[in-house]
Amino acid sequence: MSEIEKIRVELTVNGKHHVLYVSPCKTLLEVLREDLNLIGTKRGCDDSNCGVCTVLVNGQAIKSCTMLIPLANGCDITTIEGLEREGGLHPLQQAFIDRFAVQCGYCTPAMILTAKAILDENPNASEEEIRDGLHGNLCRCTGYTKIMEAILDVRDGKYKESCGEV
Amino acid sequence: MANLIGKSEKRIDGYDKVTGKGLYASDYYNQFPHMAYIKAFRSPYAHAKIKKIDYTKAKALPGVIYILTGYEDVRWDDFPKMAIIAKDEVLWAGQAIALIAAETEEIAEDAVKLIDCEFEVLPFVSDYYEAIKPDPVSVIDPEYETRAQGFQDRPADRATNRVSPNIVGAYYMHTGDLEQGFKEADIIMEDEFSVGKKTASPLEPATAICKYEPDGGLTMISNGAGVHGVIKEHICRVLGMPESKVRVIQPYMGGSFGSRLSPYVELQTALMAMRIKRNVSYRFTRKEVFTAGPSNWSCTTKVKMGAKNDGTIIAHDYYLCEEIGACVNNTFFSGRLSSSGAAPCYRFPNMRMDTFAVATNTVPAAEYRGLGCPEAEWGIEIMVNRLAEKLKMSPVDIRLKNIIDPGERDIYGEVITSIGLKKCLLGVNEVIKVEEKPVQDGSVWKRGKGCAVAGKQNTPLGRSEAKVWYNSDGTIQLFISCDENGMGATTAMGQICANEFGVDLKDVKVIKGDTLCTPYDNYSASSRTTYNTGNAVMIACADCINKLKTEVARVYGLNPKNVEIKGKKAILKGTYVQEVDIPPLFKHWTMFTQGNWGLQQYSPVVGYGVYCPAPIHQWGPDGKSDRVWNWFQYSACAVEVAVNEETGVVKVVKIASSADTGNPINPEIVKSQIQGGVHMAIGFTTMEEHLYDEKGAQSNANFSDYRLPTIGEMPTNENVFALINPDPLPDGPYGAKGMAESITVPVGPAIEEAIYQAVGVRLNYYPMTAERVLAAIKEKKAREAAK
Repeated sequence: MSEIEKIRVELTVNGKHHVLYVSPCKTLLEVLREDLNLIGTKRGCDDSNCGVCTVLVNGQAIKSCTMLIPLANGCDITTIEGLEREGGLHPLQQAFIDRFAVQCGYCTPAMILTAKAILDENPNASEEEIRDGLHGNLCRCTGYTKIMEAILDVRDGKYKESCGEV
Repeated sequence: MANLIGKSEKRIDGYDKVTGKGLYASDYYNQFPHMAYIKAFRSPYAHAKIKKIDYTKAKALPGVIYILTGYEDVRWDDFPKMAIIAKDEVLWAGQAIALIAAETEEIAEDAVKLIDCEFEVLPFVSDYYEAIKPDPVSVIDPEYETRAQGFQDRPADRATNRVSPNIVGAYYMHTGDLEQGFKEADIIMEDEFSVGKKTASPLEPATAICKYEPDGGLTMISNGAGVHGVIKEHICRVLGMPESKVRVIQPYMGGSFGSRLSPYVELQTALMAMRIKRNVSYRFTRKEVFTAGPSNWSCTTKVKMGAKNDGTIIAHDYYLCEEIGACVNNTFFSGRLSSSGAAPCYRFPNMRMDTFAVATNTVPAAEYRGLGCPEAEWGIEIMVNRLAEKLKMSPVDIRLKNIIDPGERDIYGEVITSIGLKKCLLGVNEVIKVEEKPVQDGSVWKRGKGCAVAGKQNTPLGRSEAKVWYNSDGTIQLFISCDENGMGATTAMGQICANEFGVDLKDVKVIKGDTLCTPYDNYSASSRTTYNTGNAVMIACADCINKLKTEVARVYGLNPKNVEIKGKKAILKGTYVQEVDIPPLFKHWTMFTQGNWGLQQYSPVVGYGVYCPAPIHQWGPDGKSDRVWNWFQYSACAVEVAVNEETGVVKVVKIASSADTGNPINPEIVKSQIQGGVHMAIGFTTMEEHLYDEKGAQSNANFSDYRLPTIGEMPTNENVFALINPDPLPDGPYGAKGMAESITVPVGPAIEEAIYQAVGVRLNYYPMTAERVLAAIKEKKAREAAK
């Protein structure tokens, strides 16, 4: 119960470099939400089962609720706040709106980031591969059908002209 | 401006949600200074007396501010106190015994561990069978004051006239001549059915932030439902606070599915804030969402049906018991709600309903999408499928023969004004073709098909109000207090409003869920929002348009009936202009403006609408009444499943679901509700279930062990068919009604039938887990070997 000494952590979040002094007991999720005020990343279950805390760590979709902050030291992190571009939305964001892939929206930031990681790794991912990739992200509202439609639209290049690259 | 009704306008909250800019309750944490954090000390036992409790060490921990217990002097009124905090006796594992406020969540957590509590463990009631057996254990020890409000001594079983202390309500209904009906039947079948307990599990845990106002009032920001009708009302009643000093705000909500209608976290936070006169927050852990938040109520049913050889069902003896957990929540339990779904689909000329509810030492139950109908209709739909098989009829034909037609009366005596169920059934059958045998591939995965239908009543939950501003620049603001759990209600309300004024949806700003500025609405439940709030919005728009017409008419010296409003323009009859822009008619205010009674800039024209369905006619001794439910939503589902005969795993490979929505306001949002509804139902009928340990505590209160369906449980996109087969509702806004609940109901019985067609086993219990299916397969093989 004694106060644990804070440690120095360097993070690059959405292209911006941060030097932080935080408790090593904090998770990446807590640091993002509480220290950096990046509240687009959500908290749902605390044991990496629901996936709403997913962010990109060095390009990989990671559940930030179970990553202790020392492990994230020196990493390049993308949160939902980093996707919107000057003059428009990221193609996945726009596709989620256009395809009605959003209901309560609580899983949406994580779902979009996971989809980005899937398409970044394999721009021609099959529906099967996308399903495998989304397996760790729960959605209670949509039944995933429209989420899949949105991701397939982006994969198929329907937003290249209007929104740019994934 | 084209008609907006029936058009899939983009959701008005889409941008906020895909960018992470939309705020949810827990996103407000950083905005409140000097905040205290709550953690709870909770019962590890299902039933125990609190012999001794010592808070000394916990209180002494630096950073602990206050420890709130059941001995606090609070006016509980008719809210079940035990749902908020225990006193003397704990009734389920997970019940709060003490709430600790501390400077940080960590300190509060540490303080919980320092509480010394001595229990005397009591025998507990774990389920329905325990609750009604002869001389049962009493859920609430008779030594203590109070059985929960609503408890009453009633016969648990009419046949034996046995009284149980655990019965909390009963309902009895009969129509026709049941005995004669069974006499005339060519076949009679009966069986008993049951289902597991589940938690709605919205992904955002229950969260409340209570801002203590210096005037002794409070502002609550929470993801609870019903800012006026649930949260504000309960805070005022329980804490005895003046209505003028309680403000409740509902930001974006991360799902509800009914589970947010119980204001536990809100009352706990408000109580603490008033005690310590500070800002207080409380967010449930996932474990607390399971063990301290509400579950659904499970049902046990006995279904006995008699049918003629032509498939006409002429007799139905129906028994149902709701299992509601340890106390009567802020809902109503007698079996009346669950069994209501048994009525609106089929004619059942001779029927008896014998329903009641029992308490058990488990987490108190509350609303869960469908309000007991998935549990209540499970056995009925399975029985209809079995009758069809026995009569060598198609499961589609037997239903078409018995489904009520529009204008007919149901067994209660109510007129069914809108029923598109036959169309729904034919629609899903066109996709799945349940009468045609599926193609088998010779592997261990056996294929089968099945279908079922469902109805769900709309409970008359009282009034909805709406306020509309027509601003001087021609933009429109709509103020409503319905919940936006995610279902798209605010978009639909915006569409209705925009359509009334003849403007684009983007010209309407919807302001929602803040008791300070949005008018009364009870809450969004029973799929009522489109109907109830929708009607209020239409009335408010008409009021605003009438006032605007009057003002414009004054400018031009016309009778208001000669003015028509079309967005920012007014069309005039009988004067020197035919069409004018409205915004310039609003006069600019100057220092020396006098007598400006007309339209003035920045002073909107205000419309107000109130909609309240007609009151019910209380049912008599025969349980019948011609006016209880407002209307009924319907759906049909057909599935093809693959069952692994070696492991018992069931995969839904193709699903068609159809909703009778009345005229849909926004078809794509409706389809998304259909897809989400079937996915949720696949989860709770094949996977999800509370499990309990020997102490009666839930042993799988986390997402590792209580598995929710993922994308892997949903058929691939080309195998998901979401259909809309509307029968317009005469009193719905533009003929619309709600639809989100009935969707879940027929999924389970359709899967059960498909499993039977695939591997020849019948299941009377869901979730139909791999273990249960495999056990049934093994039992069948053993039976066959014995022959």
